[in-house]
Amino acid sequence: MNNRKVTLAVTAAGVVAGVVGLGIVANPAGAGPAPTLPSVSAESLVQSVLTAKPAAFAGSVEVTNNLGLPALPGIPLTADGVNKARVWSDGQGRARLSLPSAQSEQVFVEDGKTVWSYDSAKKTATKSTKDAAKDGAGKTPLDQHGDRAANPVTAAADLITELRKTSNIAVDGTATVAGRPAYELVLSPKPDERTLLREVRVAVDSELRIPLRAEVLTNGTNEPAVQVAFADLTVGSQDASLFTFTPPAGTKVEDKNLTAKDRKTAEEAKDQVSPQVVGDGWDTTLVGRVPAGLLSGNATAPNGSTKHNGQNPAALLKQFGMPVSGAWGSGIKISTKVGTGLLTDDGRFAVGAVPEQVLYEAIGQVK
Amino acid sequence: MTATLAEASAPTEGRAPRAPLTRLLRSELRWVLRRPRTLIGLGLLGLAPVVIGIGISLATGSGRNGPDALFGLLKGNGLLLPLLTLFLSMPLLLPLVGAMSAADALAGESANGTLRGLLLAPVSRVRLLGVKAFGVATVTLIAVAIIAVVGAIAGPLLLGGTSMLTLSGTTLTVLPSLGRVLLAVLWVTVQIWAVGAIALAISACTEHPLIAMASTLAGLIVCTVLESISSLGWLQPYLLPDSWGSIVDLVRDPLDMSSLTTGTWRAVCYIVVGLSLATARMATKDA
Repeated sequence: MNNRKVTLAVTAAGVVAGVVGLGIVANPAGAGPAPTLPSVSAESLVQSVLTAKPAAFAGSVEVTNNLGLPALPGIPLTADGVNKARVWSDGQGRARLSLPSAQSEQVFVEDGKTVWSYDSAKKTATKSTKDAAKDGAGKTPLDQHGDRAANPVTAAADLITELRKTSNIAVDGTATVAGRPAYELVLSPKPDERTLLREVRVAVDSELRIPLRAEVLTNGTNEPAVQVAFADLTVGSQDASLFTFTPPAGTKVEDKNLTAKDRKTAEEAKDQVSPQVVGDGWDTTLVGRVPAGLLSGNATAPNGSTKHNGQNPAALLKQFGMPVSGAWGSGIKISTKVGTGLLTDDGRFAVGAVPEQVLYEAIGQVK
Repeated sequence: MTATLAEASAPTEGRAPRAPLTRLLRSELRWVLRRPRTLIGLGLLGLAPVVIGIGISLATGSGRNGPDALFGLLKGNGLLLPLLTLFLSMPLLLPLVGAMSAADALAGESANGTLRGLLLAPVSRVRLLGVKAFGVATVTLIAVAIIAVVGAIAGPLLLGGTSMLTLSGTTLTVLPSLGRVLLAVLWVTVQIWAVGAIALAISACTEHPLIAMASTLAGLIVCTVLESISSLGWLQPYLLPDSWGSIVDLVRDPLDMSSLTTGTWRAVCYIVVGLSLATARMATKDA
């Protein structure tokens, strides 16, 4: 029967269309071909980023983590995967950031004077007033490093000169990120740098000159170890109500302004840790000594609040670290694709974006 | 296309008078809604929000951390109840309704021996399937709507408050809250239609309604298990329940439609595949 054949042909087409559609839904099309943009030098690109006016926008940012760390209880962000954040900015210093998770959300609102943070799972809001003394006269942090740094042109030149000592900087083609054309600025270590990193790529919006994507690439793979990128970005003025926050009824509101005492505690903790920098450029390592007691989980961290949910950090580290030993002593090594960390049994630590041998050399310099 | 197909597959000899579509649809609905099991099922679904509402209003514990974070928001936010009940009934209760009515629609008729009569009737098979699919779709919509309506009434009564506290810390007034509930009803209905379409395809292939229902639910359970295996991340975006958790996005402010939209497209693809397979089976079935 002919009409039966027609029906079967139509249904076969329907099945194929449905399956293809499912494939498209599952694997959304990537960015199209690289856009053609007027060429720009690395210097002027960096300079334009430093001089760019903050834009008003709404967007969502995806953080793709491929570090190879296990998920830590309570800190799901460390595990491999994609995390999303939604951001809004009015271009005049007010901003909103929201971190949605499966059944809750953390919101951070900066309304110009106050920074609010709200956690829907705990039903708590934290309020901290911006320190008037810190940036009183509306100075941006950029202004505070003297006249030469205050001028974006010289600041960009200085920054590039400094980076060129250890890195190659270049504008490497263009890309489309969140539907917007962007320049790709690539920073790669000079051959004699001992580092795990291959290059750092930053896609800079060709019009707004704000970074749209940052990728950290490691040796031997084309998959970025960490990528932070806008998934979508809408430029334009935003509803003012987004940048205000009123704690909902039934919320516990905490005031969290750093008092002089808090600062003193933090300073003391910092002295105790006495971090020092060994090496320069890409093989910089940070070494120091962990405050006694912190590892057993009953001391307070520098900010005076960390409690690690009652877990013993040392035991936690042993779970995903590897015991190592050498002329410098013995300890636990934690390797990720972008860096290595070393914690010795007597409480010294060293971290850096370097292979483990560099850490073994650096750890000897801790007093 | 359906119309031409219906035209084409009408009996060639002497063109029997065709029953008007609306009459067919109406009689199918009357037939489906008069079944005691449909009515009992819908009635029990209506109890779900009431039970959850009473449970929450009696609860005194302060379990506000952890996976029950949504429950923590419920007190004083009555209009969250319909959303939460839909969220809770999505994994099993509502698919059960979709699968049950789809199983009854074709396999059930087969088991009773009444499908034979329908296949021989002067109604094209594509049309017959369309009428059956309409019945399943309507029962699903009614089931989802009952949960939402009962929840929207019981919520403010049991838990107080006619507003909705979003996860973002803002409070929506009555109308926007009801808008969110309406969006939830539409979104959940489309998702359950996808389950129903697959169930209808299985239902067309068997004479035992139990098989259609069991295999649909088994498939869904397997999907849920696969969703929880993190090394199968590449497979998960193909599975229907992948975006079912994103109904929570309706309780965020401003609304983020991105994963809800993805979920809708995924469901539409499943509906197309399911109905196509069901049509193919119906067209080749011996009367």
